[in-house]
Amino acid sequence: MRALVPILVALAIMGAVTGVAVLMLVLLGQDWADVLLWLFAAVMIGSALLVVTMRDIIRCGLAMIVCFGALAGIYVILGAPLLAATQVIVYIGAISVLILFAIMLTQTKDAPRVLVFQTQSAGAAVAAIIIAVIIALAVTATDWPEVVGGTWLDTATLSEVLFNEYVLAFEVVGVLLLAAVVGGVFLAKREPGGPS
Amino acid sequence: MSQSLDAYLILSGILFAIGTFGFLARRNAISMLMSIELMLNAVNLAIIAFAAFGAFGGSPAEISRGSVIALMVISVAAAEATVGLAIIIAIYRNRRTPLVDEYDAMRQ
Amino acid sequence: MSPASPFLTGPIVAAAEGAAGGPTLDLPWNALIPLILGLPIFGFLFTAAVGRRLGKQAHWVPVLAVFAAWVIAMLAAYGALTHAEPFGESGLVVELYTWIPAGGFQVEVNFLVDSLTACLLIVVTTIGLLVHVYSVGYMGHDPGYWRFFAYLNLFMVSMLLLVLADNWLVVFVAWELVGLSSYLLIGFWYRKNSAALASKKAFIVNRVGDVGFALGIMAIFVNTGTLNIRESIGLMTADGAQNAIPLVVVALLVFAGAMGKSAQFPLHVWLPDAMEGPTPVSALIHAATMVNAGVYLVARANLLFAHSVEAMVVVASIGIFTAILAASIAMTQTDIKRVLAYSTLSQLGYMFAALGVGAFTAAIFHLMTHGFFKGLLFLGSGSVIHAVHEEQDMRRMGGLRRKIPITYVTMLIGSIAIAGIPPLAGFFSKDEILGEAFKLGFAWVWLIGIVVAIMTAFYMFRLIGLTFWGEFRGPREIWDRIHESPRVMTIPLILLAIPSALIGLALGLPLGDSVIHHWLAPVFDEGVHVIEEARNVHPGPYELFGIDGFLIGASVAVAVAGILAAWRLFGAELPGIRIGPRHGAVRAISARVPFLYRASLNKWWFDDLNHLLFIVIGGRLAAAMFWFDRVVVDGTVNGIGSLTVSAGRGLRQVQTGRVQNYALGIAVGLIVMAGSYLILAGR
Repeated sequence: MRALVPILVALAIMGAVTGVAVLMLVLLGQDWADVLLWLFAAVMIGSALLVVTMRDIIRCGLAMIVCFGALAGIYVILGAPLLAATQVIVYIGAISVLILFAIMLTQTKDAPRVLVFQTQSAGAAVAAIIIAVIIALAVTATDWPEVVGGTWLDTATLSEVLFNEYVLAFEVVGVLLLAAVVGGVFLAKREPGGPS
Repeated sequence: MSQSLDAYLILSGILFAIGTFGFLARRNAISMLMSIELMLNAVNLAIIAFAAFGAFGGSPAEISRGSVIALMVISVAAAEATVGLAIIIAIYRNRRTPLVDEYDAMRQ
Repeated sequence: MSPASPFLTGPIVAAAEGAAGGPTLDLPWNALIPLILGLPIFGFLFTAAVGRRLGKQAHWVPVLAVFAAWVIAMLAAYGALTHAEPFGESGLVVELYTWIPAGGFQVEVNFLVDSLTACLLIVVTTIGLLVHVYSVGYMGHDPGYWRFFAYLNLFMVSMLLLVLADNWLVVFVAWELVGLSSYLLIGFWYRKNSAALASKKAFIVNRVGDVGFALGIMAIFVNTGTLNIRESIGLMTADGAQNAIPLVVVALLVFAGAMGKSAQFPLHVWLPDAMEGPTPVSALIHAATMVNAGVYLVARANLLFAHSVEAMVVVASIGIFTAILAASIAMTQTDIKRVLAYSTLSQLGYMFAALGVGAFTAAIFHLMTHGFFKGLLFLGSGSVIHAVHEEQDMRRMGGLRRKIPITYVTMLIGSIAIAGIPPLAGFFSKDEILGEAFKLGFAWVWLIGIVVAIMTAFYMFRLIGLTFWGEFRGPREIWDRIHESPRVMTIPLILLAIPSALIGLALGLPLGDSVIHHWLAPVFDEGVHVIEEARNVHPGPYELFGIDGFLIGASVAVAVAGILAAWRLFGAELPGIRIGPRHGAVRAISARVPFLYRASLNKWWFDDLNHLLFIVIGGRLAAAMFWFDRVVVDGTVNGIGSLTVSAGRGLRQVQTGRVQNYALGIAVGLIVMAGSYLILAGR
């Protein structure tokens, strides 16, 4: 029962957030982009908090998937649909699954009983808050040039740029992925005849 | 709100801070890796936001540069997650524990 | 006659007119003078190497070496004193080799033989030879026989080098060698604790004076750039010479060295303790040769002292003070050798007083006569000690005159000589000192000198009275076994008694214009002249029936008074005079002046003062310094080390080995940088 508390809290929060969003839409007359942004942002932040605070690590992984999903939604609002699709396919579909497999392979029996946070977690929290504050201050203090956002990026333009200007980077990333695959296989391989 | 760059950037900052906290505070190695992914995603968000608001220029070709960068970042994150998890699994085999504060063989 | 006939035919002693117009003594001096040193060196090395195996025959080589050196030295002295060619008025210089050719700093080892050197050569080699012969008998039963003769020869080398050297640095080397030889000889019976301590004391106290001497040599070099004795003194005392270091300072530093070697106050404390050495050692070193080194040094530098009036006054004061201090202590000592030791101190004080008032010739004259009669007295006391089977306390002697007559007669001659009764040697030299002191205006020196003369006569005849007259006070068994010493010991005594009696007559006459004055005139005339000019004192011609006669009369009178007082208290048994000793009277007199008696008996507590100052206080100071060095200095150095270690240990805590801790550090760094940039950019 106690393990469900964070999820209930999260759900409560999300319900509140949704309610606020609906209010914004109906009563205040904001347009859809803002409401959606508000919603997706709330989901993303909430699930991110769940990722870093939950005790059960599999639940953390699942919360991370939710976070990535919300982020993909934000990409769509920003007008980058290909990126949103990539985000879902790669992050949710590949990386998160990989992480869940790894969690399975490294589970220990006493995992739920063990302390979740390190002794330096207080300092870490303080540092994190300060980082957020600094970024916020820096951002709000700067005069950003006023450009109207919301241009919908189509795939043709993106692929033209990608495969003309950035073809070298593209190829190098391919090599990098090859190296990562080889390295991963080698590192995780069992020693022949060694202990399992 | 969706028309102002500030909101996206602040959002990115908050996500980055959360990722930092998770990286510094969690004991499980895989939790650390998940926090790293959060941080990377925050950075991605910032890049796309900048590009969408004309940091690279106003034309679609220039806006798409942000997406290109973000794609690269995602690829690299994938590679890094692969290798990182392989390392964690290798260490787990040796140490029988996924908890980072027990990996202190380099301690003085 | 050719002026130089090198290395040819044998001794050509030509007193006839030579080509230079005066007597000629044409011998291969360039070879002979170094031989004076070379023979004892050979003796030392030979005896040191093979002496142990020779046993009782070990003495032949050293004695013969010294005998040969004596022959050559007497020839050289004859030549120098008669101003024969090639010695001339200013002496002969034999160049040996250049020791230090270092550009601006040249030190050559040369030998200078002039009249002053000749006087010292006579004393050193004669008494040295007689002591060597005497030691054959005295040390005959000692297992370290060969060692003794080796050391004696080493000592002869050192002393001869000292008087022959022409360069301050060579003198200093010889100075130190003499100190070393005396250390070896005083501590000859090294297994005896008191002897070892005494030799160390002698060496250390000498060393204190040597520091002054070394500084003086450095000062001379700073002033003149040369260390040749004659050149440097000439440069320093020339008219209008600009001396970076004042002459007074140089003179006092040189005198400090002389004080150490010649045992003047306050560096006198080593001489009485040095009696721990065998008696021939005491005779040679502490009566006749080593302690005269200081007198020789000041005499050699007489021009330097003459130009610094303050230094002369210091020399005279310290000299005469030492004289009266030592004489007062000698009056109550019971060890026969101690009495003679303090007597030596007192006579040395006389010599320095003479040097201080400007009577240089008188000082050297007294040096020569004192060498003979003090050497005689010491060797005689050795004979007495040998006769009563190693007893040195005079309270257990007495009545020995019938048993050891030769020793008795020779010692009596020596005592009369030292008391200053004419016509024996001591009278001439002592009277000359006191007379010159008075006539050159130092009446207080004369007065104190007169008092010392009384005391001298008194304690010497006290010694004779206690030792030879009256009844024997020792154990009966010893009395039966007392016998005269063997001839090898008594012949040197006789040979020394002759000059003690006659050398005064030989050198001191005619009064007022004596032979020794003529001999030493070239050495001292200039100095005396400078002094007379400085003090505006011009002594007139000698007035036997005027002032000089009065002075002679005073000297003789006080000597006789002292002797009579001693006879009254301690008895006399001379032909025609028979007085019994009055021990009660002695005790009564000592009881009436208890403080003076106790002070005299305790050597005026100087040894205790030195002990307090240097051993107790010095020891505490050294302990404090040790504490400081151990705790503060070492503590600081070690502290830096341990600080580093503990800092490392502390900083090591940062290395937890955990990635997350390091990452927090990175995050903090990031915050600091970003934050400060934010703040700075915002200003």
